[in-house]
Amino acid sequence: MAVCTRRLDKVMCSIRLLRNVKHQNERFLSTSLCRLALESDGGNPTTFTPPSKPVIIDKTQTEASLRKFLSPEFIPPRQRTNPLKFTIERKDMIQRRKVLNIPEFYAGSILAATMADPHATGKVNRFVGICIQRGGHGLGATFVLRNIISGQGVEICYELYNPRLQKLEVLKLEKRLDSNLMYLRDALPEYSTVDPDMKPVPHSVTGEVPVNTTRVRMRPKPWSKRWERPKYAVKGIRFDLYLTPEKMEHAQKWAQPWLEYDMLKEYDTTELEKRIFAEVQAEMTK
Amino acid sequence: MRLTLQMLISHGRVARKMGLGPESRLNMLRNILTGLVKHERIETTLGRADEVRFYAEKLIDYAKKGDTDTKAMKMANFWLTVLLYHRFFLLVSLSYSDPVPSTLFCFCLPDFYEYSWFFGSSSYFLFSLWFQEKDLIPKLFKVLAPRFEAQPKGYTRMARIPNRENLDKAAMAVLEYKGNPFPPLQPAKRENELTLINQLLKGYREEQAQQAAAMVESQ
Repeated sequence: MAVCTRRLDKVMCSIRLLRNVKHQNERFLSTSLCRLALESDGGNPTTFTPPSKPVIIDKTQTEASLRKFLSPEFIPPRQRTNPLKFTIERKDMIQRRKVLNIPEFYAGSILAATMADPHATGKVNRFVGICIQRGGHGLGATFVLRNIISGQGVEICYELYNPRLQKLEVLKLEKRLDSNLMYLRDALPEYSTVDPDMKPVPHSVTGEVPVNTTRVRMRPKPWSKRWERPKYAVKGIRFDLYLTPEKMEHAQKWAQPWLEYDMLKEYDTTELEKRIFAEVQAEMTK
Repeated sequence: MRLTLQMLISHGRVARKMGLGPESRLNMLRNILTGLVKHERIETTLGRADEVRFYAEKLIDYAKKGDTDTKAMKMANFWLTVLLYHRFFLLVSLSYSDPVPSTLFCFCLPDFYEYSWFFGSSSYFLFSLWFQEKDLIPKLFKVLAPRFEAQPKGYTRMARIPNRENLDKAAMAVLEYKGNPFPPLQPAKRENELTLINQLLKGYREEQAQQAAAMVESQ
């Protein structure tokens, strides 16, 4: 604050000088005075700020070639609630999406979320991390971002439709072998570190989302969860380095092979998805 | 295991508890469903019939997809299996130390899937033997699926029957696939022709027929 006042004083002085000089003799006004005034601003020479790059919207991409993506929180769960609840919720979700652009992302993509925070400097909080989980349905949909900051693993659970969320950027769009990457907590830190100043990697709007097939190396056992058990169905861990084949077989004792044939557990969402996708697209383009 | 409140409350749970656990429940339902596909009309307890009804209809939905569909074939292979438990003959064979007579094995062709627990020193083996009903799979795809092609749902019919005569007096039900060759469960009620209204209507219909015949003759 003192610096500002000092600078302000200097500026005021220089302006008064200039004004006096102007009054006395305009011919003596030269660039040197201007330079002096500039230098008195803080001692740094002003850097050249290039103009912002224009955003190119490619209108040649047809709707048919664009990737059809319906965010998973739009699909209602199998419940006995009145479908009216879901229609109203969808309306609210679309209204929020018209204000804030919520991009397409999956578990394994690297995102940067800026949240409004009254106690932060600049009133916004930016967090960059890898998305390890997408959960919830409707307006309560959440996603968890994980990053390692100065050696400490940090996970923040953000709500997609939180009004405090100012901006959501996808820095790298990709999928992984699993839809839930909670095992990164027990993996080596190199797999969860994301550079906070990472530049966005350009991704195509058409075609398949790239799948990152890295199989992660883990810290020594014990892990927070027994990831080798078939209930978690983890494909992205290199079990062969940490578990003997006997242990893997022992883990298969918890397998429930009848589960895939149990028709009661099936929930076919294809028709529902098509209908909701058409509805959402129509509303968004209005 | 974390004891949550959700475990105690059963709101929204659709699957009944049957047998010794989820695997046992599915095995029991598999047996009943195989019997239903084989005989097209079976008699079981009310609860079991109600549970099997859902699976019976879903199996027909899968069968409608055709036998070229891999998922449908896998489902049919899984569901049309009969599970048999044999404890007794093993106990007997070990105590007599005789070779097991072949007659005991002849009617069950093992697709030998698993053998379960071996109880320490005692010679008591719990075996679970499966045999696949090979001829029911073509019956499902070639007979039952075409029969219900026109219907979107509602392939089964359930009717309650008097309670079982045993000590348990269990509530019984009959479950059948519609279009089976047996006589109907509830015979079709025909209206009584001798009531006044029916007689008057019969007279009216006859009069109409006479008038129509007279018109045709005069033309």
